[in-house]
Amino acid sequence: MSKIWLFMIVLSLIVTAIFMPSTIISTMMNAAKMGVTMSIEFIGIYAVWMGFMQVMDDCKLSHKLSDILSKPVQYIFGKTDKETEKNICLNIASNIIGLGSAATPYGIQAMKGLDKGEKKANRAMIMLVVINSTGIQLLPTTVIGMRALAGSVNPSCILWPTIVATFVPTILGMILVSLFYRRKRHG
Amino acid sequence: MVDIVIPMLIAFVLIYAMIKKVDAYSSFVKGAKGALPLMASLLPFIIAMFVAVELFRNSGLSKYLCEFIAPIFKCVGVPSQVCELILIRPFSSNAGYVLLREIFSQYGADSYIGKCASVIMGSSDTIFYVSSIYFASTNVKKTLLTIPIALVCNVVCALLACFCCRFI
Repeated sequence: MSKIWLFMIVLSLIVTAIFMPSTIISTMMNAAKMGVTMSIEFIGIYAVWMGFMQVMDDCKLSHKLSDILSKPVQYIFGKTDKETEKNICLNIASNIIGLGSAATPYGIQAMKGLDKGEKKANRAMIMLVVINSTGIQLLPTTVIGMRALAGSVNPSCILWPTIVATFVPTILGMILVSLFYRRKRHG
Repeated sequence: MVDIVIPMLIAFVLIYAMIKKVDAYSSFVKGAKGALPLMASLLPFIIAMFVAVELFRNSGLSKYLCEFIAPIFKCVGVPSQVCELILIRPFSSNAGYVLLREIFSQYGADSYIGKCASVIMGSSDTIFYVSSIYFASTNVKKTLLTIPIALVCNVVCALLACFCCRFI
């Protein structure tokens, strides 16, 4: 991660310095501003979802959901504690129904639960990040909305290709993670 | 569809809480309180990411890289016009949506290119963003093969997207 970041910045800086050096500072500052604006928007979004998540937690609804899903989750992620298992379930469930922004807080909680304090990522963490970054999503609502705005005659015709193109890579990702990182027998 | 499902889910949760005699209001407030500290801890990572992505885009490197990889993609049926989207998508959703809008206005949402771009946008996610944010809250320094695996999946996703779009 840090290597990619360094590489991107250094290379971009060199190229930009040759062609249009005057834009460097403004680009950086604008990017930082964009980051802050987005973060502030996300505080609101996260607050709403984390609020409802707490309601679900307090009336034990999320525990019921994770009880149903605990077998497949244990199969994919290996043994974890109850709390982490619940967060993983909610993370994946909110991804599937298209609430990517609601999935992030659960995902981060789950990552904290999976963290054993080691410097190297463990199998379950890699699995969770890979599943999240292949974007399992049933309803690409934003894209369909944009297509409708752009004057498409059938904005939702992309639905089944999207589902195919999201589930196949997700399953592939899970297989790859399993191939590279064997499940620990006791862990 | 989704317009109805999610409000219904929320209503269901609240009614369930009512039946279980849980004070939904104070639970909601308690949960929402966590949003600000969460975001505060993520902010440095988000800014680091944004600065890198924007510098990269501004430098025009993404365009050069596209010209470089476009012929390879073309061999396997991916139109060269969506290459930049494939390249930028893993870094930033916002930039991805901007590119998607450009593709729509240039080629039309119902063109093959427009459809491919839509499917790619809808079926992939921001790999670098997700992994930097997710690992940010842990002690992990070495992410091992996380990003390579996610990138392989992303390429497969793009190939599948363009392949499936031939049938719609």
